Amino acid sequence: MSSRRSRSRQSGSSRITDEQISDLVSKLQDLLPEARLRSNDRMPSSRVLQETCDYIRNLHREVDDLSERLSELLATSDMSSAQAAIIRSLLM
Amino acid sequence: MASTSSPAAAVVEERESGGKRKRGGATGESEVLGEEAQPSSKWRRRRVHEIYSSKLLDAIRLVRSGSGSPASAAAAATQPRNRAVREAADRALAVSARGRTHWSRAILASHHRRLQAARRARLREPASPPSRHPTSPPGKGPKTPALARKAKVLGRLVPGCRRLPFPALLAEASDYIAALEMQVRAMTALAEVLSTVSASTSSSSGGASSSPA
Repeated sequence: MSSRRSRSRQSGSSRITDEQISDLVSKLQDLLPEARLRSNDRMPSSRVLQETCDYIRNLHREVDDLSERLSELLATSDMSSAQAAIIRSLLM
Repeated sequence: MASTSSPAAAVVEERESGGKRKRGGATGESEVLGEEAQPSSKWRRRRVHEIYSSKLLDAIRLVRSGSGSPASAAAAATQPRNRAVREAADRALAVSARGRTHWSRAILASHHRRLQAARRARLREPASPPSRHPTSPPGKGPKTPALARKAKVLGRLVPGCRRLPFPALLAEASDYIAALEMQVRAMTALAEVLSTVSASTSSSSGGASSSPA
């Protein structure tokens, strides 16, 4: 529904320039952990895409591990609503 | 112990903030609504982190209080609960995105579809959901076969982005990565708080004095 709407909007303005694409690629590169270690020289787009895929997979794995850890912590602790309020304030 | 953890948490936040987490004045809402163009700054705001942490806590408490949702496997085994926690965390993340990205809408839509299917299966024969197969969008931009292959892999990793044109896919991936990073930070903080609380609870009930450094 909404994706159909956005797609038709894009085919209307079909001129996506190389510059826009390389701009998006370099924004993506800046998000990667490797970019913070090295100087901000431009990596080739294929390398950026590869690193992006690897990074997303890493993040998914971290979230899975954290879910497992949270699930174990939940199993061992009963949480009253008073305790939840305390925990909430500790998180803020 | 509990008395030292709040100032400790505050110290950690101060150390982390150094320009990364912005705090507007009294208006928390405008802080989230403004400057949404930059995904990394949007997901690093303190307010978004707080909103997500709160939603996350609620969501996993629901999972704990007994797998009430019909979609999840009701057995008290570990694997379904892990999955339920992961999905609850993802849904909370998608809600925090405020519906402006494909990936967030896709996460919520797939959950909604699963609930509908479970509901229909219980009531009557399941209706077949309309499968959308639009033609592949034109104007992807010049891409070599190697790039096209990697773009396809990326499209499978980001939820709901398999058929997006290349520029939109890159934008979604940027936002998704920033959101995932926040999710990791929030879940880590919650795990730390929960493990500290449960450790201090068990040590106080056990009577042994083990004071955490």
